[in-house]
Amino acid sequence: MAYVIAEPCIDNSDQSCVSVCPVDCITSDPSVDRKFYIDPDGCIDCGSCETACPNQAIFRADQLPAQWVDFAWIDATWYRDPATARDAVDGAATAA
Amino acid sequence: MAPAVVARVLPPVGSTVRPGLEPNSTLVGRIDLTSTIARFVVRPDDGVGSFEPGQYFALGLTVDGRPLLRPYSTSSAADTRTELEFLIRLVPGGAFTPRLWALQVGDRLRIGRPKGLFMLRPDDRRTHLFVATGTGLAPFVSMVGSLVRGGATAAGALRAIVVHGVSRVDELAYRDRLERLESDGVGLRYVPVVSRATDPANAGWAGRTGRLAAQLSDVCSAQSVDPGSSVAYLCGNPEMIATAERILTGHGFAEDAIVSEQYWPAA
Repeated sequence: MAYVIAEPCIDNSDQSCVSVCPVDCITSDPSVDRKFYIDPDGCIDCGSCETACPNQAIFRADQLPAQWVDFAWIDATWYRDPATARDAVDGAATAA
Repeated sequence: MAPAVVARVLPPVGSTVRPGLEPNSTLVGRIDLTSTIARFVVRPDDGVGSFEPGQYFALGLTVDGRPLLRPYSTSSAADTRTELEFLIRLVPGGAFTPRLWALQVGDRLRIGRPKGLFMLRPDDRRTHLFVATGTGLAPFVSMVGSLVRGGATAAGALRAIVVHGVSRVDELAYRDRLERLESDGVGLRYVPVVSRATDPANAGWAGRTGRLAAQLSDVCSAQSVDPGSSVAYLCGNPEMIATAERILTGHGFAEDAIVSEQYWPAA
């Protein structure tokens, strides 16, 4: 079960998660992305990122708060179609 | 407020995956201790940068066009500049290690930056009790190697004890190196423990037998470990660590004198 980065990361990325991830599966393109994304196929479920995040933005996929469950799809989508994931992030930010 | 996401079907895998994770190293050596435990030697294209003994690196392979990485502590001492060595156990059916086992010397792979906080404390002159099961020995080989090369164990400046628990004698990785250091009089004691006393593979074994955790209290007594002037480093499976922490605490170790690193359920 992978971890997921949810809405509190949007426009508030501090990168602590990136530095602690043991398998380098958290990334983004800082020139265009508003948050970081966890690759669910690379995540080994260690939980280091959840502990490191100062924004309490990271959750196990099965423990995502109800209002943020779609971020599991957003994170996974970014590694396949970044533009679609970015559109979804913009939508989530607007909705919030 | 729910985000404006309606589609849940993932798009097909594209070409934009995990940028910057292309192979950057070559497998230059491999020593198979058993059919499931091996030492892998990796040479990064740009050499080995600075790292602390006890830290780990992500090793990565490209699988179906996508990177697959797993973290492994290096057993190399911190002054190494060309190659890094890793002690790894094959997990049959796992996603990563069967593919790693298929590599030949000369094959390419990815190695990440050093990470982790499981490291020695600077200028710590307490007795160092290193306790490991299986491949959890790797960070301690790095630490001991660094301490010895740094001269910390010379002339009684430091006392270190390595306790390594395995199932079979042939799983005692780095046994020769640790026995040699012990005989060199650098202040190291090496205590191997083999759990399966009746296994034919362990015939002739005259050392300690039994579960490592169950042996730990006796090892502390036999080695005259003073909990008040010692620090314990634990690395291995979570069950061993929990048991060892309980035993060491009962032996008089303060909680902040026990440092541990759990190995993730593997892959």
